[in-house]
Amino acid sequence: MSIFNVDFWIGVGVVSGIYGIFTLGLQLNVGFTGLINLGQVGFMSVGAYAMGMLVVDAGWPLALAFPAAILISIATGVLVGLPTLRLRADYFGIVTIAFSEIVRYVFQNAAFAGGNQGILGYDADWRVFQAWASGRLAAIGLGEVAQLPLLVAVWASLLLCLAALMALQSSPWGRVLKAIREDEDAAAALGKNVFAFKLQSLGLAAALATVAGFFLAMNVTYLYPSEFDPSFTFFGYAVLILGGFASYGGVVVGAVLLCALTEGLRFLELPLSSGQSGSLRFIIVGLILIGLSMFRPQGLFGGKAEMQLRA
Amino acid sequence: MTVGRKAASGAPAGAPERRLADIPAAAWLAVVLVAAALVMTIARGPVAVGQTTLNGLVAAGYFSLGAVGLTLVFGTLRIINFAHGDLLTLGAYLTFGISALGLPFWPAAALAIVLTALIAFALDRIIWEPMRRARTSTLQLFLVAIGLAMVIRYSIQFFAGSQVRAVGQDVLSSLSVGPFHLGTLQALVLVVGVAAVALVGVALAFTRFGKQIRALADNMALAEISGIDTLRAVRLIWLVAGGLAGLAGVLYAAAIGSVNPNFGFFILLSLFTAAVLGGIGNAYGALAGGLVIGLAQEWSTLFFNARWKPVVGFAILIVILLIMPRGIFGVGRARS
Amino acid sequence: MTRRYFFLAAGAAVALAFGFSAAEAADPVSVTIGKLLELTGPLSENGPSQDKAVTIAIDYANQAAAAAGVPVKATAVSADAQGDPQAALSAARALVAKGASAIIGPSITPESIAIANGLTIQKKITLWPVGTSMRLRTIKDEGTIFRTVPPDSLQAYALKTALIDKLGDAKGKLLSIAYRNEPYGEGLSKDLTAAWTAKGGKVQGPVVFDPAQATFDSEAQQVVDNNPDAYVVIDYPDTFAKFGAALVRTGKYDATKLVVPDALAFSTVPTNIPPQALEGARGTRGGSDVSTEAYKLFDQLWQKAGGVEHFALDANSFDSATLVILAAAAAHSPDPAAIAAKIHDITKPGATKYSPTNLGEALKAVWGGQPIDYVGVAGAFEFAANGDPTISRFDIYEYKSGKLNVIKQIDAAK
Repeated sequence: MSIFNVDFWIGVGVVSGIYGIFTLGLQLNVGFTGLINLGQVGFMSVGAYAMGMLVVDAGWPLALAFPAAILISIATGVLVGLPTLRLRADYFGIVTIAFSEIVRYVFQNAAFAGGNQGILGYDADWRVFQAWASGRLAAIGLGEVAQLPLLVAVWASLLLCLAALMALQSSPWGRVLKAIREDEDAAAALGKNVFAFKLQSLGLAAALATVAGFFLAMNVTYLYPSEFDPSFTFFGYAVLILGGFASYGGVVVGAVLLCALTEGLRFLELPLSSGQSGSLRFIIVGLILIGLSMFRPQGLFGGKAEMQLRA
Repeated sequence: MTVGRKAASGAPAGAPERRLADIPAAAWLAVVLVAAALVMTIARGPVAVGQTTLNGLVAAGYFSLGAVGLTLVFGTLRIINFAHGDLLTLGAYLTFGISALGLPFWPAAALAIVLTALIAFALDRIIWEPMRRARTSTLQLFLVAIGLAMVIRYSIQFFAGSQVRAVGQDVLSSLSVGPFHLGTLQALVLVVGVAAVALVGVALAFTRFGKQIRALADNMALAEISGIDTLRAVRLIWLVAGGLAGLAGVLYAAAIGSVNPNFGFFILLSLFTAAVLGGIGNAYGALAGGLVIGLAQEWSTLFFNARWKPVVGFAILIVILLIMPRGIFGVGRARS
Repeated sequence: MTRRYFFLAAGAAVALAFGFSAAEAADPVSVTIGKLLELTGPLSENGPSQDKAVTIAIDYANQAAAAAGVPVKATAVSADAQGDPQAALSAARALVAKGASAIIGPSITPESIAIANGLTIQKKITLWPVGTSMRLRTIKDEGTIFRTVPPDSLQAYALKTALIDKLGDAKGKLLSIAYRNEPYGEGLSKDLTAAWTAKGGKVQGPVVFDPAQATFDSEAQQVVDNNPDAYVVIDYPDTFAKFGAALVRTGKYDATKLVVPDALAFSTVPTNIPPQALEGARGTRGGSDVSTEAYKLFDQLWQKAGGVEHFALDANSFDSATLVILAAAAAHSPDPAAIAAKIHDITKPGATKYSPTNLGEALKAVWGGQPIDYVGVAGAFEFAANGDPTISRFDIYEYKSGKLNVIKQIDAAK
């Protein structure tokens, strides 16, 4: 049956890994700091473009451009947070969307970012790595599966980030963050610099977005502004809420399930026109999101008590 | 924040200081806009500025009308209703459907607006009310809104197809006064938009229901205790918000001439920007926000290539919120 | 002796007879065409017409093959690109999983590049994008990407020629350019500006408009300001419906000064574009010796099928699908790599020319192993090594009473 096509599901695995890393950042902000960061895709865009431009325009090797891009996006996170974190939570959310849209339009219209023609060719080093990895995999007979090295790289990074975040959460830093989310004023009264912690949370989320952006860039091999639109963030939120509020592990499971569902529905064969099949797929996803929120609002791994975040 | 500003200024609360802080935000807004217009006239000439001002007012009409329903729901129910844009689309497409059965356009539109209001009402009964009873968090409601948006938009597309549809109204007829011109339907949008928002503002301020809704927005629990039938008030809010959304959708479709199922979603971000800019929960805020964004975007074409127009709205939002963190007419808590 | 020879001859005759009938009753070639459509997302206005274009191409080719006795049958599977490169890549994989031998679409270059680099180059599957971006040419596609849409450089030359034809001369003439903010417009505008200024003309703009705007009046005003000698608007029908209306409303717009490229070429102007916006306007589109008959046939098929109106570049998708079916017939196989190998053979310069009006004969010829030069509705292709069409024949047309009339043909030879 055509639905059991290996290449397809490896592709889905790559995408769910990318969403997983992206949403880990969201979870850090939303579930553990109480920040409604709706502009996460903007940080991903800044990071991916920074990396692309460093490689293509400045001739840097990818291995240097990537960490540099992470630093640049952390700086962007801090810059965005400095003037905006004092706004009330829902306004902060809208402002972060505004930020991500400004980034998108700037990259579409500014010559330095390639404009409508985008950026191409930054993945030369990655292809070299991929060829080497495929060579190694050929030894166990998996050399022909094209995207396998990418899948392994994405998931290795995802699991690493997951472990790191979980470790961070049980650290003193993590505990302060949780206190801030639960009662900001109390945390401040105890002498914690709430603002600094929020900035750090935002910066870290930006870094995670850039890691996700790196793999996205390697997956599609072309940087184009409309790849980084708010729908990406919204899908990330769907993953977050599906997996469970304040659960990092839930993010990983949620990403796999939601991506598998959305992509798997491509194989639904009904006697409908192409357009109707296309629409039906999203009607089903929308209904599932609604149903999930109504009947299991805490998601798969979230605790009911964790849920009471009111803006 | 006004208090903070006063305190930070350090000067004693003498007569000039107090008068400055008392002048309402609306007056400030008017002064800034007029001043900007004057400066630009010197740079680009009165005809260019005049025409772009008219264009900006039309855009403001769309944004304000669309943002009012959004701001009402957000202000009272704290729901970031991402499905609102698709209610605009629903209003437009219901009009097509009804007029396909034989009714002329405007009667069909009126019927479609009523239907959209009823659908919004029904959605509240089926979806939002149970979630309110279960005391669900804002984030959960956000996800429901996203899911609902998808269901509405793609259901419309399922039945009507994603191809562009001509609305069939006369988009070419325009009114000319000297060197200035305004599309007839665009003028309609402007007039109806402002009138509708003003009506809502007046209703909120002076009718009994309006006062109840404002009490609800302030503190739902307190409102209930003081005897207000919050359930009825909330349902009314959804009816009004849905009807306004339908109206905005129909007018937008008629004036711009052709639509496809995505148009409501595409305009949604601008609607949120207008609502937040003006101050969430305030009907006049929706008007002010729409005005600022519409005018700013069209005026920007006098100085920058039109490709940057979308950025202007978002940039203005950020700038204004940095100066006035609650929006232009915003009241209430400045921090969460 | 004679008896032996007789039986030998009889045996040979029987064998020959079996051999012939075996050849005629050869295994039918069943080729699956993957439609990579914009069904949802920001470009979804594209989807229905492209779907229809490929569907009628398949139906027509199947009929022609059956009538000509060629055992080739095509079917289609579809997937939604969603306007997003990552989703498009996944959609392309779904098409391959469903058995597609070739992929018609996608509509934008980022999707094409993602699919090419992620799937089709490795699997030697032909990809037929409906886009003109020069970016696509910088990829080493190993002969898998083919485009039936003329490259910007040729179209810009055609536009310039159409303009000079109208104005008599470029020297000192003011041209006002506007385009929808995306690669198609940007590339074409750049090439046209260079070509026009090289001939001594002046250029105003470009006015670049974002398709999701609520009003286009300010942008339209900038196009008609200073009373230019001509305007070129590079746009798609859905946005032009709104932009064209805004142009007319300025009160200073003269539609006869407008020249448009192939994305705004339709035999009948769609109902959502105000007729006054295009009345008397001229434009360019891919052409050939048999343009008139080919487009007429295409329109007949389109009308007969009912459903959606014309959108941009339908004919090009129709041609892509037809070429895939011809290649499958030539290769006697639905194998993607075999099809890829035959594309040049069916568009060979110098070979016998065929067109949609005699598709049956074309199929017969390629089934028999002959190379042909298939000329599509949107023109002849004679693909270069990088998969771009080399033939530079363009129709210059004029809109009168909502209908397109070809007024001349030009050769945009480089």
